[in-house]
Amino acid sequence: MIVFENVIKTYQNKQVVNKINLTIASGEFFVLVGPSGSGKTTILKMINRLAQQTSGKILIDNQDVAQVNTTSLRQNIGYVLQNIALFPNLTISQNAGLLLEANGVKRSERQQLVQELLDKVGLPYEQYGSRMPSELSGGEQQRVGIVRALVTKPEIILMDEPFSALDPLSRKQLQDLILSLYQEFKPTIVFVTHDMQEALRLGTKIGVLVNGDLQQVDEPQVIINHPANQIVSSLFNNQKITLIDDLIRTGLKETITENISFDVPHLTSTQTIQELATALYDYDYVIVDQHYIINQRQLLMYISKH
Amino acid sequence: MLNDLLHLVTTHTNDIVVALEEHILLSLAAILIAAVIAVPLAISLMNHRRAGEVVLQIAGVIQTIPSLAVLGVLIPFVGIGTIPAIIALVLYAIMPIFQNTYAGLTEIDDNLLEAAEAFGFSRRFKLFKIQLPLAMPMILSGLRIAMVMIIGTATLAALIGGGGLGSFIMIGIQTNDNAQLLLGAILSALLALVFSWLIKLIGRLSLKKMGILVAVFFVLLGGYFGGKAFMQPKGQITVAGKLGGEPEILINMYKDLIEADNPRLDVQLKPDFGGTTFIYKAVKSGDVDIYPEFTGTVLQNLIKGKTVSHQPKKAYQDAKEALDKQANLAYLPPMRYQNTYALAVRQSDAKKYNLKTTSDLAKMSPQLTAGFDHDFYELKDSYPGIKKAYQLQFKDVKSMSSSLRYKALANGQIDVTDAYTTDPQLKADKLVTLVDDKNYFPPFQGAPLVRKDILTKYPSVKKSLLRLKDKVTNQDMIDMNYQVTVEHKSADKVARQYLEKHDLLK
Repeated sequence: MIVFENVIKTYQNKQVVNKINLTIASGEFFVLVGPSGSGKTTILKMINRLAQQTSGKILIDNQDVAQVNTTSLRQNIGYVLQNIALFPNLTISQNAGLLLEANGVKRSERQQLVQELLDKVGLPYEQYGSRMPSELSGGEQQRVGIVRALVTKPEIILMDEPFSALDPLSRKQLQDLILSLYQEFKPTIVFVTHDMQEALRLGTKIGVLVNGDLQQVDEPQVIINHPANQIVSSLFNNQKITLIDDLIRTGLKETITENISFDVPHLTSTQTIQELATALYDYDYVIVDQHYIINQRQLLMYISKH
Repeated sequence: MLNDLLHLVTTHTNDIVVALEEHILLSLAAILIAAVIAVPLAISLMNHRRAGEVVLQIAGVIQTIPSLAVLGVLIPFVGIGTIPAIIALVLYAIMPIFQNTYAGLTEIDDNLLEAAEAFGFSRRFKLFKIQLPLAMPMILSGLRIAMVMIIGTATLAALIGGGGLGSFIMIGIQTNDNAQLLLGAILSALLALVFSWLIKLIGRLSLKKMGILVAVFFVLLGGYFGGKAFMQPKGQITVAGKLGGEPEILINMYKDLIEADNPRLDVQLKPDFGGTTFIYKAVKSGDVDIYPEFTGTVLQNLIKGKTVSHQPKKAYQDAKEALDKQANLAYLPPMRYQNTYALAVRQSDAKKYNLKTTSDLAKMSPQLTAGFDHDFYELKDSYPGIKKAYQLQFKDVKSMSSSLRYKALANGQIDVTDAYTTDPQLKADKLVTLVDDKNYFPPFQGAPLVRKDILTKYPSVKKSLLRLKDKVTNQDMIDMNYQVTVEHKSADKVARQYLEKHDLLK
């Protein structure tokens, strides 16, 4: 659990973060969204003390981060950067295992962990492990960036606009990837973006930040349907989208009872109805959250009601 | 030219190997020490930009000091030979290594550093895993620049007895021997290429292996220099000679004579041991015990407040007394030959016109064309002076480069030129020098300059050196110089031959 208590940050006599009070529960996928210059990256960086608040306290599991030495604090918090920042002098597997190496994990163990995760993010170790970062596309590099942050199995992962420099297709693929990794490892993720759609797609909870003020902190559905104020509603105005989650809640689904391997698309409940419709265009039914089956008829029934 | 070079290589293989070895050791020691100073300095200053800039400026200033000046300044503190040479080279090499390392470390992408910061790497881990590897290409190019510079500058070490390939270059310049000059230059260039390539290879190693390699080099070099210092036996006499063939012949004679009289004495020879000032300082400081010096040089360059007498005996007496008083050094009686200026003509002309002395020449001068070295032509105590003294009236007088004048004389383009009386080129080109019958030029007689403590400690040395008193005529010296510098015979053989022929060895 991460708690912000009256956190203020002034920079060159300008207040960039205005008295933030915020609690991020453990296991949350918390997205901090807002236009550029709203102070969201500053808030993120205060968690691992890359930035220093002017006043107020930040607690992780009731421990004031200011009291923890930065090395051990940061070693327990994963970090994914917008510009990826793989070290150009190291191979993919060296980059991926670098934090393990810094913690003194043995080479064989390191290699095993790295191999497992690289395979998982779609960069087979055999094929990619010994390549250099410059030989990879931006999307592939950021997969390595994610592996690098995940490899020590940290309880908290900070992601600073990790996908905003990527092309739309890679962005979508990486969003899917981070969601499935989130489902698997259940870390606390604090994810900064200026992309409202990305926020809605990824977050279990969204904090909307404008000009250093936290406007609203809620589930995606609530943000869309019940914006706290004019600012929030105008930000999400063009985003009248509904998530599959809403459909599931209305009971229009079946639960998988048998353990059958389905050769159909797998979606998550945080994806949009539009995406569900796209998937169902080619298939009779899809699987959501590896738990539910939704078919074309159920989608049509949902749409007709809303 | 190519033949000369090949001949030199085949006859002087040993000398070349020794010079190469000296040059390599000198350069390696210098670059290692410079790297060990400059790289950690750059690392410690990379986060203190202002201090870094200051050091950069200082290193730049050091770089602009001429290397000879650095050597001159160092000699009173650290003596002569290898150590001041290494110190000077290190001073030069620090700048490029520091500059490149500093630039390499400070120009790393901020994003990468932020990432390293965010991952909580320790300083050490960050340095060895990220910063140094990223800066490595720059560091290596700094090392290569320094290496090439060191190998080039190390040729100057020859001037202060540091040895190395510079000996060939210095001798080449002094004796107008292009083959030697080329040999030294080519070998240093090759060495620079080889080392540059080696550094490139080393750059492919991991940091750990690099560290091990540097440590190994250090131990080996330390062992080599340490061992060398340790191996020097007691009761040893060091005899040095200036750059060139003639001094080398003389010191080999000294060695043979001293060791023949006292077999228990070990004479260490240091040929090509720099120029006059350096070798004189080395004798005063005790790095060198004996070296052959000219009476004229003593009076002109080493001693204050003496005018040079043109009477050889008086000149020697003056030099001896002054050295005794001013430097507490002994100056034993000179040999016979004079290595001074003279006018030279073709042997055939000398016979034809019966020319023996400069006065003989004066009578013939209206019929002859003279060609002189630029300096000789212009300096007041050279041609203008001798012209007046002997009433010379040449048909025509030309000023020409010193390298051309013997050939011009041999080919008949001119009839008279200036020469050194023991120059082997005289023999090669069939020329003779005329006796300076009015003693216009100051006398330059070679004589052993010896530390007094050596004479008291080993009385036999004086006796041995006195055997050469009034021996070795001009013609003897020309012949020997010819054998060594033109025929490339080894100096020790030529020296021994002379001693045996004249029964000077018991």
